[in-house]
Amino acid sequence: MAHMASDQQPGLTFLGKIFVLLIVAASGYGAWYYLHRGASSGPSSGTASDGSAPVDAAGGTTIGVSYGTEKQRWFEWAVEEFAKTRDGRGIRVQLLPMGSLEGAQAVLNGDQRINVWSPASSLYKGSFVADWTLKHSKSPILREETLALTPMVFVFWDERYQAFAKKYGTASFRTIGQALDEKSGWEAIAGKPEWGLFKFGHTNPAQSNSGLMTLVLMAFDYQQKCRGLEMKDILDDGFQDWMRRIERGVTGMSNSTGNMMRDMVLRGPSSFDAVFVYESVVIDYLKNAEGRWGQLRAIYPKLNMWSDNPYYLLDTPWSTDAQKKAAGAFADFLMSERVQKQSLIHGFRPGNPAVSIKTPDSPFVQYSGAGLRVDLTTSCEPPEAPVISNLLVGWQRSSAR
Amino acid sequence: MVGVLAGMSVVAAAGCGSREAGSGGSSATATREPRVDVVFTYGSEKQGWIEETTAKFNNASHRTAAGKIIHVDAIPMGSGDCVDEILTGKRQPHIISPASAAFIKLGNAESRIKSGKEVVGSTRNLVLSPVVIAMWQPMAEAIGWGRRPIGWRDVVDLARRPEGWAAYGHAEWGRFRFGHTHPRASNSGLISLLAEAYAGAGKISALTLDDVRKPATRSFIQGVEQGVVHYGSSTGFFGRKMFQNGPGYLSAAVLYESMVVESRDPKAYQLAFPVVAIYPKEGTFWSDHPVGIVQREWVTPEIKEAADAYIEYLLARPQQERAMSYGFRPGDPSIPLGAPLDASHGIDPKEPQTTLEVPESDVMNAVLDAWEGVKKNAKVVLAVDVSGSMKDDGKIGAAREGAQAFVAALGDRDDLALMTFNSRVSWASPFAPVGPSRAALQGTIRGLFADGGTALYDAVAESFDTIAKTPEPSRISAVVVLSDGADRDSTMKLSTLLQRIRFDNEGPGIRVFTIGYGTDAKADVLEKIADATQGRYYSGKPENIREVFKEISTFF
Repeated sequence: MAHMASDQQPGLTFLGKIFVLLIVAASGYGAWYYLHRGASSGPSSGTASDGSAPVDAAGGTTIGVSYGTEKQRWFEWAVEEFAKTRDGRGIRVQLLPMGSLEGAQAVLNGDQRINVWSPASSLYKGSFVADWTLKHSKSPILREETLALTPMVFVFWDERYQAFAKKYGTASFRTIGQALDEKSGWEAIAGKPEWGLFKFGHTNPAQSNSGLMTLVLMAFDYQQKCRGLEMKDILDDGFQDWMRRIERGVTGMSNSTGNMMRDMVLRGPSSFDAVFVYESVVIDYLKNAEGRWGQLRAIYPKLNMWSDNPYYLLDTPWSTDAQKKAAGAFADFLMSERVQKQSLIHGFRPGNPAVSIKTPDSPFVQYSGAGLRVDLTTSCEPPEAPVISNLLVGWQRSSAR
Repeated sequence: MVGVLAGMSVVAAAGCGSREAGSGGSSATATREPRVDVVFTYGSEKQGWIEETTAKFNNASHRTAAGKIIHVDAIPMGSGDCVDEILTGKRQPHIISPASAAFIKLGNAESRIKSGKEVVGSTRNLVLSPVVIAMWQPMAEAIGWGRRPIGWRDVVDLARRPEGWAAYGHAEWGRFRFGHTHPRASNSGLISLLAEAYAGAGKISALTLDDVRKPATRSFIQGVEQGVVHYGSSTGFFGRKMFQNGPGYLSAAVLYESMVVESRDPKAYQLAFPVVAIYPKEGTFWSDHPVGIVQREWVTPEIKEAADAYIEYLLARPQQERAMSYGFRPGDPSIPLGAPLDASHGIDPKEPQTTLEVPESDVMNAVLDAWEGVKKNAKVVLAVDVSGSMKDDGKIGAAREGAQAFVAALGDRDDLALMTFNSRVSWASPFAPVGPSRAALQGTIRGLFADGGTALYDAVAESFDTIAKTPEPSRISAVVVLSDGADRDSTMKLSTLLQRIRFDNEGPGIRVFTIGYGTDAKADVLEKIADATQGRYYSGKPENIREVFKEISTFF
């Protein structure tokens, strides 16, 4: 939990600082990367097109991958497929679902199961590297890749969105706030008392990348600007009151975007009428939702930001050469066209620029009826770290979570 | 908060008895190959599915990376016990799966206070099933099911009406008989009570301590509770009793949707009418069966690896699809819902439309405290066999301890009378409220000694008649009888006794709970006596008699 450094400068925990500092770098990087697809993808960009990098599999090698659950289904598929390849035979990939911060902390604490760290966003990298280097005098990252990109969206049950849009026009933090303010919920919104209160969810900003992005985009929405978010914008009483009112109505504060979306599909509109999540997560669950409760509808906020899903092959004392080699082979496999195309099926915009997202079988084309769009509107400029820090502390104070 | 789980420490729920070992079926058992044993305790609602899948898992000889065979011992129990056994140190499971995340929330809160660490960290949903009001279809139709949304409030109104079903033009159905389990012992009971509190407060989220303390909320809960037939620790018991005994036993009960599906199995039940699921319009809760690995030092990395493998197996598609045939909604969202999760099995897969929020643990405890103050009180005769054979194997000593635990578990406003019997029947203590007489009752029990013959039938008949003479419909009326051998001294015949105490809708509604104690007890006879009154038979021995008595206390 946050503690006060002074009356004017509320402080964050160490993890909170890591979290905040890195969102700045990563969101900016995500936007840059997406706009400059086609350029080099980094110092160790994937070389194999079919995951054929040689790996000494004699005796079998196990590697642990700490990753965010937003990539769960893609990764689970990839692990199964990797095991079928010549390179993957003899390599056991153990997936360790963890929040982005949780994964960093586990490595720093010497969790020897982890050989690869793949958070939602590279915004955690700088502080992680700095902290590790202090202890070990060298960088913990041997190789890195940008696996996939994704922006944020509101997702509603379609039937409920139609009713919502009839009253409010479209989904934005402003209209969501209005709906949450309705004491009789759906009775006032659409004459549907049997739908209960309006139920909106986002992840916990102190634990999840998408949760913090929610707060930042909420601030942009309130101030109606996309860059230059300043301390005074965050400390503004009007904004603080508005954020407090919205947050009071937010339900099911999950620490994981994937889990929250999964929960929405499992329990249907009884748990959430709408959530604010990564676009990839929505796409991944569109088909499942139809088998359970009906159609989902994605609505992009006018002002948006990116997450870039990096893959960090770690150079830790407990990683053997065989494990590093195996983790490299898995990275090659993930960046191969076949696997990158699969990432598209799971809703990501591939990190490999050779893979197009405009093909007929792309979910962006297939599910355009569910509101998906290839081209986004405005991608916002991440605010400075102290601004985000104050935003998070303000949220923690107002929501007392 | 501590009290919630402390009160949940009861014996294993119906269907699992007091078993120590869970599902087996292992090809590895007979071999000398190195193996990793994983202990998995879980809410008994999913017993059928877990037993089937665990047996398959064990038979398939899954292995760890080091090549050791993984063997899982899956032990069903009440959801409260899954957490409570860890907190009290009674058992050291490696994986737990209560029926609801509410139990994990309460358990973690209590554990943080005690040890600074949680019982279970991250969890995944094995299967889901909403909590519903299960009602006989003609009765459900009478209150508007199929034409309008039905809510908790409709049930309360019905429970409060002295004329019962006559209010809906069906005097022939008699009183409205409602059942939910004991909220301190069972998930569905706790959920039912929280739903009542929400409805009483007129809210569907953010229930506060102030809401709970309002007289209107308490009065609302009291209104529902007055219609309750009795409590109990097992949702399965309620469901099975309702389906077996028909609408004369229960008009409606708070069950899981999965049990409504189960009721439509013609091999299991010959129903008087179909049972349907009512999804209360104010909202309900999900029984979400979270599964997680226990965060304690006895979970070694090797066991954790084995536990992970087993959890993955349960969540894999074939096992998840199989869960549907047991009436559960799979925890894997990629599996579309299909038969038997459909209208022809009494459910609506597009419901519920809204849910109630699980309140904070302090609010939950306040609701439970409020319930203690307004719940239906009991009028109970405790009849203890003190025949000479009770001297053997330390039986009388353990029985005294068990009976004292029973007295300790009753509420202050419950009425209790104590009877002993050997070749004759004696009243050791007349009816009196337990609160002021608790210490004296326990003193009397401590002084019991064994001698003489066994007049079981006379004892049951006299206990029953004593309650029947002054019927109190506002109380749960019951006889709890413990016996360790055959009746040799009664003047009454068993057939006459069974005829006299047989349950019918117009009778006094007295249930007899019987305990066959030790190896010489006449289980068949005691079972007949319990069944005749729609009570329940228990098998007891000195080692578990305390738990058996505590389990019976959850009916009141």
